[in-house]
Amino acid sequence: MDNYRFKYFFKKRIQILFVFLIVLLLIPLLKIFYLQIIQFDRFTALSKNNSIKIIPIPPKRGMILDRNNIILADNKLVYSLEIDRAFFSDLDEIRVRLKNELNIDIDIDIADKKINYLYENTVPINFNLTPKEIASFIAHQYLFPKLIIKQRFIRDYPQGKSSAHLIGFINRINDKDISFLERENLTNRYLGSTHIGKSGTEKFYENLIHGFPGFKEIEVDAKQNVIRTLQEKKPVPGKAINLTIDYRLQKIAEKAFGEKKGALVAINPKNSEVLAYVSQPTFNPALFTNGISHESWANLNDKNSRAMLDRAVAGLYPPGSTLKPFVALAALTNDIRKPPFSISDIGYFKMPGSSKVFRDWKRGGHGTVDIIKAISVSCDTFFYGLGLELGIPKLNKVLDDFNFGKKTEIDIDGEKSGLIANKAWKKKKFNESWYAGETAITAIGQGFTLVTPLQLANATAKLANPSLSIKPHLLLSIDGIKQDKQEVKEKTQIYSDKNLKWIKTGMMNVTKEGGTAAFLGKKSNYQMASKTGTAQLFGLKIDEEYNEDILLDKLKDHALFITYAPANDPNIVIAVIVENGGHGGSVAGPIAKKVLDAYLENKKL
Amino acid sequence: MIKVLEKYKKRIDIPLFAIIFFIILLGLITLSGSNLDTSNIIVNQVINIFVGLIIFTILIFTNPRILFSYAPVLFLITIFLLILVHFFGVESNGAKRWLTFGVFNLQPSELMKITLPLIIAWLYQQYQNKITLSLHFIAIFLICIPFYLVLHQPDLGTSIMIAFSGFLIVFLAGISWRLILSSMIVAILCSPLIWINLLTYQKNRIINMLDPFVDPLGAGYHTIQSMIAIGSGGGFGKGWGEGSQTNLNFLPEANTDFIFAVYSEEFGFFGVIIIFALFLLLIFRIFILANNMQSIFSKLLTISLGVSIFSAIFVNIAMVSGLVPIVGLPLPFMSYGGTSMVVSLASIGIIMSLNNHKTLIAN
Repeated sequence: MDNYRFKYFFKKRIQILFVFLIVLLLIPLLKIFYLQIIQFDRFTALSKNNSIKIIPIPPKRGMILDRNNIILADNKLVYSLEIDRAFFSDLDEIRVRLKNELNIDIDIDIADKKINYLYENTVPINFNLTPKEIASFIAHQYLFPKLIIKQRFIRDYPQGKSSAHLIGFINRINDKDISFLERENLTNRYLGSTHIGKSGTEKFYENLIHGFPGFKEIEVDAKQNVIRTLQEKKPVPGKAINLTIDYRLQKIAEKAFGEKKGALVAINPKNSEVLAYVSQPTFNPALFTNGISHESWANLNDKNSRAMLDRAVAGLYPPGSTLKPFVALAALTNDIRKPPFSISDIGYFKMPGSSKVFRDWKRGGHGTVDIIKAISVSCDTFFYGLGLELGIPKLNKVLDDFNFGKKTEIDIDGEKSGLIANKAWKKKKFNESWYAGETAITAIGQGFTLVTPLQLANATAKLANPSLSIKPHLLLSIDGIKQDKQEVKEKTQIYSDKNLKWIKTGMMNVTKEGGTAAFLGKKSNYQMASKTGTAQLFGLKIDEEYNEDILLDKLKDHALFITYAPANDPNIVIAVIVENGGHGGSVAGPIAKKVLDAYLENKKL
Repeated sequence: MIKVLEKYKKRIDIPLFAIIFFIILLGLITLSGSNLDTSNIIVNQVINIFVGLIIFTILIFTNPRILFSYAPVLFLITIFLLILVHFFGVESNGAKRWLTFGVFNLQPSELMKITLPLIIAWLYQQYQNKITLSLHFIAIFLICIPFYLVLHQPDLGTSIMIAFSGFLIVFLAGISWRLILSSMIVAILCSPLIWINLLTYQKNRIINMLDPFVDPLGAGYHTIQSMIAIGSGGGFGKGWGEGSQTNLNFLPEANTDFIFAVYSEEFGFFGVIIIFALFLLLIFRIFILANNMQSIFSKLLTISLGVSIFSAIFVNIAMVSGLVPIVGLPLPFMSYGGTSMVVSLASIGIIMSLNNHKTLIAN
């Protein structure tokens, strides 16, 4: 091939090649045109998505205060150790290394739980690092690139175990809470939040005290490091609420209870504000904020103490003799047993047309007893007959008026309705018919009847102030603004003053000479109207001797006491139940008296 | 001094030199706009350019006859270095591509981009009167050796580029169209075999090319981030130094392999047109020079070197815009890095040297 020929076809071939290269270069140019011009909006959005993240800022929870602004629940700044949620599955390894290398523990339960998608990018694994732990972690942070320390506000309960049932507790948001929030369309309010109210006021007023989250729009790099904040919307903190509670009374009542189990509810009969709300034994609500240990949980749920049970609204007790004033009022209203009617009590009641005998608590009886004395000496014999003549329907009508057997609708979580039994209920429950004897013992507060301490206090408040038409409540003000009282439906007084006065006289005589709690009246500077009660936990067989000493503590009677004072212009109503306390007047009475003294004589804590 | 400059001026082709100058300038501007470990990169790149220009200067003053006579030796040395890489190469990301001599790193596959065209051009020049089918087969055999060695480093991108520049010479040397078509058919038939021999990560890259959004955080990540960078640049770009994809580290290898994505993000489609125009002028000027040369060796070598540069440009841009798999190939004259800059400038130096001695190797 000569040089000339080569040159000729070389030129032809590089021309072909050049055209080929131009066409080749057009392909990426077209692709770039497509990306930059046609798909510009899409890629701009993707570019922003890449680098711009929206991070929720959880709101600060509102404080819970008593009526005098004593703090019951607050927030404190903590340093929490948090894991990048992308590495959540490495938690087990990290747990071991943290323990071995830095001696830092992390929450026991957290690994079992699914991560809450409502959290921000990091999941807290220990909410309460000590300064020593913080220092040791920061020094070794390079060993744990998946972990960081964040500042958070966490719930703080300055009163410790005191008033725990009233305040309630909060706990980590779990799967159940998330499904609830999704159902209620509330997930947006919990973005970034770690906790939610689980009991007591914390749960009931969750909606008020939770607040609304804020948002931070930040620019991040490929490693999710924050470069700068673009916009920020501050969270709206939850509202602070004042409860109607007088914490001074809480403290006095708790102290008076000591180690005893039971509950005390104090209500202002003029407006149904709950002044004291005590359930014993109690627990430390702070245990739950950081995830409770299995051991603590087992202790709290111990069957004998049942510390988690809010006895004030969920403890169900036979009312015993504290029901007698209401039974008496039912009789008077139905025009039976009106003074001067009296019986001669010989210590027992014999069922008409039967050999069955019901004993009075006092051997030998109380002699001549009218309805006033029947209350003050708590004469069982008087009430057996009364009950049988009155009958269950008429009795239940009055008990229903006093809100027994149904919820008072107080503003706290977990209230139970108690029980007012009747023929239909027994048939349904046990498939048995109602016996006349059961009517007799229902009249002395035994039988099937079950009440909560709150119901007892609420009913007593209605005795103290018959025109009271407000539901018992705990909320006094929101962010310092007083709340309107909720009214109940029936407004008018349906019981005659005359009948009520007889009941009141009987109750005033309880703390006078001959009454079942006469010793309380001796030391008193004001007049109370009270009723003692001793609720039997098991049926004593006829003629069987009751011997307190040989009974197990668990099987001892519950001691009950209801009172209001001053009798002629009541400012406070109290219901006390001491579980397995024995006699109501001597065990429950003094507890109520201490609270009365504190409230009426303004004694210092 | 003026005399030296005059002499220098005579030896370089001003239009080609100007084109290269502008491309290098755009590269430097793009690099200095990024805020990632700034200062050193610019200084180092200027040093790289300086070293490249020294080699370039030496080459334009070198008689291509020397290049011609040493072609077989240079080829054999490069093959030897490639074999050395296989045994003593520095391993990074599962591939052995580099030889280390103290502070100086050498990538023999880059050298092969020059020495392979050199030996093929030498072959056709030496046997210019006997260009037959068997000579073409000898040439193809010579192409296969470095192709195989580089493929097994593994470096798919570079091996394809080397083979491409080699085959191009065979094409320009006049292999018949019939043979070209039939070998293309064979290649297509053999593609399943090649697929089997690819490593898993190479396969993944090809699969992800088809739809990078299938695995956005895995194998498709780099392609997607690069496409986002380019796409979000729009018509006129986000502005110099304002590329969020780059500065926030979403774009991998922003200073080296993906510098075109950075450029597109910051200067938009307008900037892309400018750089494309420069690339096209570059190849056009090289073709004009080749056409005016006299010897077969000069013509073939010039085109081959020119197309090598073009291929690197094409593959790099196709890669960052999501047209071909990510193969790890720098953009000539723009990417940060010494070897690429020196080899590219050396190629231009050789072309200008051949241009200065149009008749020297002529028969």
